Amino acid sequence: MSTNKIICFILLMALLFFSGMRNAANADEILVAAAASLTDALKDIGKAYQAKSKHKILLTLGPSNFLARQIDEGAPADMFFSADLAQMDLLEKNGRLEPGSRKNLLSNQLVIVVPADSKLAIASPKDLLKSDVKKIALADPAAVPVGVYTSKYLADEGLWDKMKPKIVPVLDVRATLASVESGNVEAGFVYKTDAAISKKVKIVFEVPIEKGPKITYPVALIKESKKKEAARDFMNYVSGAAGKSAFKKYGFVVFE
Amino acid sequence: MIFSVETWQITIFSLGVGLASTLLILPFGIVLAWLFARKEWPLKSVAETIVLLPLVMPPVSTGLILLKIFGRRSPFGQWLYNRGIEIVFNWKGVLIAMAVMSFPLLVRSVRTSFSEVNPRLEQIAATLGASALKVFFVITVPLAYKGIVAGALLAFARALGEFGATILLAGNIPGKTQTLSLAIFNFVQTGKDSEAYALLGITVILAFTFVWFSEWLLRTRKTV
Amino acid sequence: MLLRCRIPLAHFELDIDVSFDARVTSIFGPSGSGKTTLLDAIAGLRAIAAGEIAVNGSILFSSARGINRPPQHRGIGYVPQEGALFPHLSVRKNILFGAERDTDAGTSHHLSMDHVLKVLEISRLLSRPVTQLSGGEAQRVALARAILSRPQLLLLDEPLAALDIGLKERILPYLARVRDEFGIPMIYVTHNLTEVLTLADWVLVLQQGKLVAQGVPKETLRSANTLLQLPDDRFDNVFAVTFMRSDRELGNTQVRSASGTELLIPYLPPPLDPKLQIRVSADDILIATERPAGISAANVFQGTIRGIEALNGEVMLTVLAGDEFLVRLTSAAVIRLRLDQDTRVFLIIKTRSFRVL
Repeated sequence: MSTNKIICFILLMALLFFSGMRNAANADEILVAAAASLTDALKDIGKAYQAKSKHKILLTLGPSNFLARQIDEGAPADMFFSADLAQMDLLEKNGRLEPGSRKNLLSNQLVIVVPADSKLAIASPKDLLKSDVKKIALADPAAVPVGVYTSKYLADEGLWDKMKPKIVPVLDVRATLASVESGNVEAGFVYKTDAAISKKVKIVFEVPIEKGPKITYPVALIKESKKKEAARDFMNYVSGAAGKSAFKKYGFVVFE
Repeated sequence: MIFSVETWQITIFSLGVGLASTLLILPFGIVLAWLFARKEWPLKSVAETIVLLPLVMPPVSTGLILLKIFGRRSPFGQWLYNRGIEIVFNWKGVLIAMAVMSFPLLVRSVRTSFSEVNPRLEQIAATLGASALKVFFVITVPLAYKGIVAGALLAFARALGEFGATILLAGNIPGKTQTLSLAIFNFVQTGKDSEAYALLGITVILAFTFVWFSEWLLRTRKTV
Repeated sequence: MLLRCRIPLAHFELDIDVSFDARVTSIFGPSGSGKTTLLDAIAGLRAIAAGEIAVNGSILFSSARGINRPPQHRGIGYVPQEGALFPHLSVRKNILFGAERDTDAGTSHHLSMDHVLKVLEISRLLSRPVTQLSGGEAQRVALARAILSRPQLLLLDEPLAALDIGLKERILPYLARVRDEFGIPMIYVTHNLTEVLTLADWVLVLQQGKLVAQGVPKETLRSANTLLQLPDDRFDNVFAVTFMRSDRELGNTQVRSASGTELLIPYLPPPLDPKLQIRVSADDILIATERPAGISAANVFQGTIRGIEALNGEVMLTVLAGDEFLVRLTSAAVIRLRLDQDTRVFLIIKTRSFRVL
């Protein structure tokens, strides 16, 4: 490889790269920071919104705690859609939220999943105490929202202490599903919306909404946003009829 | 269709920013590696340790530190923001995350190849009238170039695989800051395994190629 | 040349304070005495604690006056022990590497590349890759490179040390030619007596960083005090001889010295070049006051004691027997045999005590 060829290649790549990077600055780009579990729903809603509005919706998806941290440090998000209250509370405490914009929009339903080919008879949380259930996967009950909610629910039912020895804490929902899929655990707790992600698990019990924990997905506008008008417009759309039906389609519970 | 336009866009984006980040750290890495290899100076060991840190710290920690430095809340971040330079949630954030995480690999590799250049050759060149710059460019660098290129390839490969610091500093915005690694994460999280595997395949092929060439260069170098 | 420096080293301090003017000055001493360090200091490749270095009147370094010229501007050509040719450049590029530089103290002789190449006989090597040069060729190229940078001083660090004996012999004349043709003062570091005796006009004897003697090579190196202070404590008598015949069955070779003395040395196959150099240690020569009989040593010949130097129970005799021999005995032996100036003695040397250089 001669030096000249290498230089040419580098220049070409640089050119390609920089040419693609120009951002259109006319219409507003609304940056929505959202929990990963909302991905599919928000993508649909975003597409529908963009069809009737001149604004563009950009999503940044990730663990709610990462997103909250970024926003706290001044990351230029316009709207935040969290998977639990704690992260939103943190931002409110630090004065990052636009006053009065916070809404509790969605909830979710807790379910028990087992491997699709499981032969075990599990129809309620109590069944998980049976001896043929050796391990139960749960996203870290100390930090991850679904884990926190689950442990609280099981404690309220008086089952947590007996179940604790069987609990295998894992990284997140995806990891929970992966462990159940692999058969390394006999069951796992996830949100109903998450269960749809994997085709190799089946839902055997849905925690009734009234009895279950108060899972809440709050949404709010960010105070330092430079596109509050546009963001408010999108927020209204999301919390309006069109948004709500999209969420319901994906299995979310919508607060009326 | 798994290999959609989106796939190629993500790949080109990752390659482009990865290349830019490698080119960015190349001059700094070479100079620093030379200072480490050839000179003694106060606080040198402190500098060596700091350069090594991104390699051994959890990428998320590094990402957090970068976020604190470049976020709007810090004086530096505020200064940048006032001039319209956006780092967080921007491809520039991807660039910085990649650059910081791959820097230690570059410096190590280049430093080693500089150390392998016989200092006697540089000294003799000096006695023959070559200025320090001439010695560096005519003697040291040509004799060490294989190690330099190998280091750059390794840094490039590392940049492509970068995740933790990137997601914290630049966010995971499809079409704007989403790299191969972040896209794979997304697909895995949302259960789209086949898309994830497709991207994974691309990543593996790229990484394999770069690392293989890097190692080949190192194997074929002559020690003088 | 004015040379004064003080350099702290690992186990001692290198302390030199000399002034000399010679075509070739040799720095002689055992390894570890600081010779290479001294050259590095002169070339500006090494920091000196204090002192002064001046060449031909121009000050290269002076701690008192705060002068420290970088190696680029000292006008010094350095031929290190390993040649240090640039492996990624051709022979031609190597040789011309320093040719462009400005020297403020050029030599009086006009140096042309052709002339230098001719003297060193390396013209046909110009397009050869550096890595394909033999040891001797590489050394000559390194020499040419140093010379063509038009230095005011040439430093050579044991240039023949890495070469085998035969090669040493063949390169030595080139060094003599460089001395004679180009008029550049040379400082030549070595621990080989032959090289000093052949090339140098002046020698500085270095031991543990201190100058212990200096002067004209032949006398300086043989003065007893110098020799007895050398740590490896050897003195070889070196002679140029001519090969006459070899006998494998008998296990010896007959040679003739310049003065006509015939000596027997250990067998070697007939060499291409009949001119040889042999050596024998001063400790391996026996003295007898009468011609001995019935002994195994084959070399027995007469001579006269011309000099006696004693120190600490040891005595170094200078014996003239056609050639000059130095013989080391204990004081006891000298007293017992009643040896004195002008005493006629017999020298007894075993065949196997001779070595071919």
